[in-house]
Amino acid sequence: MSLPTADLNPGADARLQPASSPASHSLWGRAASRFAADRAAMIGLAIVMAFFVVALGVWLDWWGGNWAEITGGQWQPPSAEHWFGTTILGQDIFARAIFSTRTAFEIGLVVAIASTLLGAVFGALSGYFAQTPVDAVILWLKGVLDSIPFYLFVAAIAFALDGNPWAMHIAMIATFWTTTARLVRGEVMKLKNLEFVEAARAIGLHPLVIIFRHIVPNTFHILMVQATIVFVAAIKSEVILSFLGLGVSDSVSWGLMIAESTTEVIAGHYMNFIVASSFLFTLVMGFNLFSDGLQDALDPKRSGR
Amino acid sequence: MEFLQYTLRKLAGGVPLILGVTLVSFVLMVYFGPDKTYELLSKNPTAEEIAQVRAQLGYDQPFWVRYGTYLKELATLDFGYSDSTGERVGAILQRTIPVSLLLLAPGFVLGNLLGVVLGLVAAWHRGGWIDKAIMGFAVVGMSISFLVVIIAFQVLFGVVLGWFPVRGWNVHDLGSYLHYVSVPTLASVFVALGYNTRFFRAVLVEEMQRDHVRTARAFGAGAVEILWKNVLMNAMIPIVTRVMFSIPLVVVSGSLLIESYFGIPGVGKVTFDAITSGDQPILKAVVGLTAVMFVLILIVNDILYRAFDPRVALK
Amino acid sequence: MSEALLEVDRLSVDFVTEAGIVRAVDDVSFSIRPGRTLGIVGESGCGKSVTSLALMGLLPRPAGSVASGSVRLGGVELTSLNERALRRMRGAELSMIFQEPMTALNPVYTIGAQMSAVLRRHQGLSRRAARARAIEMLERVGIPVPARRIDEYPHELSGGMRQRAMIAMALSCRPKLLIADEPTTALDVTTQAQVLAQIAELQQELGTAVILVTHDLGVVAETCDDALVMYCGQVVEQAPTSVLFETPRHRYTEGLIAAIPKVRPQRLARLPVIPGTVPDLAELPPGCRFAPRCGFADETCIRRQPALETRCESRFACFHPAGRQAPQA
Repeated sequence: MSLPTADLNPGADARLQPASSPASHSLWGRAASRFAADRAAMIGLAIVMAFFVVALGVWLDWWGGNWAEITGGQWQPPSAEHWFGTTILGQDIFARAIFSTRTAFEIGLVVAIASTLLGAVFGALSGYFAQTPVDAVILWLKGVLDSIPFYLFVAAIAFALDGNPWAMHIAMIATFWTTTARLVRGEVMKLKNLEFVEAARAIGLHPLVIIFRHIVPNTFHILMVQATIVFVAAIKSEVILSFLGLGVSDSVSWGLMIAESTTEVIAGHYMNFIVASSFLFTLVMGFNLFSDGLQDALDPKRSGR
Repeated sequence: MEFLQYTLRKLAGGVPLILGVTLVSFVLMVYFGPDKTYELLSKNPTAEEIAQVRAQLGYDQPFWVRYGTYLKELATLDFGYSDSTGERVGAILQRTIPVSLLLLAPGFVLGNLLGVVLGLVAAWHRGGWIDKAIMGFAVVGMSISFLVVIIAFQVLFGVVLGWFPVRGWNVHDLGSYLHYVSVPTLASVFVALGYNTRFFRAVLVEEMQRDHVRTARAFGAGAVEILWKNVLMNAMIPIVTRVMFSIPLVVVSGSLLIESYFGIPGVGKVTFDAITSGDQPILKAVVGLTAVMFVLILIVNDILYRAFDPRVALK
Repeated sequence: MSEALLEVDRLSVDFVTEAGIVRAVDDVSFSIRPGRTLGIVGESGCGKSVTSLALMGLLPRPAGSVASGSVRLGGVELTSLNERALRRMRGAELSMIFQEPMTALNPVYTIGAQMSAVLRRHQGLSRRAARARAIEMLERVGIPVPARRIDEYPHELSGGMRQRAMIAMALSCRPKLLIADEPTTALDVTTQAQVLAQIAELQQELGTAVILVTHDLGVVAETCDDALVMYCGQVVEQAPTSVLFETPRHRYTEGLIAAIPKVRPQRLARLPVIPGTVPDLAELPPGCRFAPRCGFADETCIRRQPALETRCESRFACFHPAGRQAPQA
């Protein structure tokens, strides 16, 4: 077996960078220029932006408002009037898909932001007070939430909140903050041994001030990347939850569309399924590329590339 | 002897976790859950009848007594009878768990094995076109929803091509087993492969950059030997940890979807039905057992750590 | 005068970096005779480690590559060998040991397993024979109770013992050349002395030539027959050790030796240090690379690079070398 292009020597980075000097010397400036040079990342960003504009348009009532109206006959094929045809009830599939973009962003953003905040707070507290009861309690909480099967948890919360439409969001937030917290905890444990923390303690700053004003800002790169990962996880989870009847109920989402289509596809009516799946896939893929690009830009030595 | 002590200590450490999980689930599902009183009663119940049913259901007991009863059920594995079918929960589990295991095992093993192999190939050719191709596929695989894959495969293999059955589980021998397990296995592998490959590749690349790899090369070791002894053996710990911790996810969540969709009578389908019908005994059983499984996995993982890394002592 | 065992002729090594192609080793030539010890000395980043990696064919690929020059070991041109041929030589004809004994060995295999693997690979020994030979080598490097130690894992040994085990492993197949890249830098002073003594002892017994790469002039003075000083990827001076210390020629060498703390008849107010810092390899000065820091530099030094010349037993590249008298005490 001849030795291929791989290099088994430590300390080598196989990525050959062009011989241009970085645009600026700040951490974020360098990260931004690395990101801009990454084609896949830029494509991802473009896709996400495009979908965001669509969602924005729905919010502002520019389009997609007629998702529930019955505007055509049952199962009409694609036509000039209904670009993607109609559903079993005669609703316009295109309008439904467009409206679902807003649903997706709503879920994604709410869950991502909330879980990232929770994760940051708990992770930082847990990391700073590592090996103390505070840490033990938070770790125990994480363990408990991690070991409850996700779908059962959502079901349980749905029961407990008696059909509240926010049940799904709450369940997702309660599940997804644990990974962020774990990563933040690890990072904070590393950071708290650095000298700037010692200095802060020496001048008598209150621990909470030290944690949240000085240490946590140094974890922003982790938080940003995790937020994008959670966004994707939230959207994907919604699909399955809607299928199980635990997800979106009062509006439409790609998950609901796909769930509706499960009975249709056997009979040969694919439009609902294809449209929803494609929209979902494109946004998720775009976000994944964006997320990867973000990780690479913020930490080029990441061995994931 | 030392080993037994270690295991017992770890089990003891897992108790707070089990308590926590069961408490949370109990609170959510049972305490706040549906009140089944009126289901068991006739049209115009009298106050006595209501009180009688409530006593029967145990609703009149204080919170901690009810929780305690739940724990007892868990300890003795006696969960009573299913609300919907009236069958003993224990019997249901006995019947369905093996089915789920048979269903998920091939997909799980294959998904991880292939993931390691692909990760190895990608890490080996790091930066080259093979690496980029594999990573490209991985990202695509990661971006497709499991549900979409299941539906698509069902249509493709069941309806369009007609190669495999897409509903039911009529398994009586190896042949029919392979027949029925193929599409579900394909679906789970397809979905898991993206995530797995990326993770394994990252771990392997990191191991490839260690000093001892350079030393091995300096003493004339060949590629295969280095990959095996230096890279893979050292990567085993994160790999095994990841594989172990993906078990709850795969077994519970995966089985839920696949079984309910393909109509396969396993634990997942039973759980799904229980969720939609609010069948508490079954839900209590599943949640409790899952918590126990989680703790067991933690322990097994710790033990495997020791097997793969001589630096970790059994403290 | 025996023939040279290793001949390095005008070796240059390039690296591809974010800032472009950087020449880490520039036109380096030296040779070493069997059984002799050559010390390669210089600051971090001067190219000494890269040189040793290049000799073994272990440059990190694809970033690093031999741009030009030749390396001949016993007449065989190493730079033109394919990987398979090189593999046969590594550990058998020439061996290398590294700086960090903590991480240099595979943590999940015993010392014995790793040593036996090398022996079986290059000498075709049976499992039992390889194990016996490994125990013998461990004893020779001064590890007590080798028969028990051989079944231990790297983390169960101290730093010094680990390095000795590495030496044992490196010399077990009796290579003609041993390259030691900062073998004692990570060890405490006492262990350092022991390990160096071990290397010297085994060298005597086996007749191995040794290249010792280090930044510590003290180590060179103690153990090396010849010394080679590198700066910014170039050879700036080479001489037998005693000559180098008595009459350094290049101003850099002179500065290095003057900076060694030692007992002087008259106490100095400050330790003489070389001003300035090593230039970035991507932005080298056009003339002599040491000129910006040299107190004797003039127009010529800034504009042109000095060529290597030989005077008495020293080879050096300097327009204004130190004279024949002994350096200031």
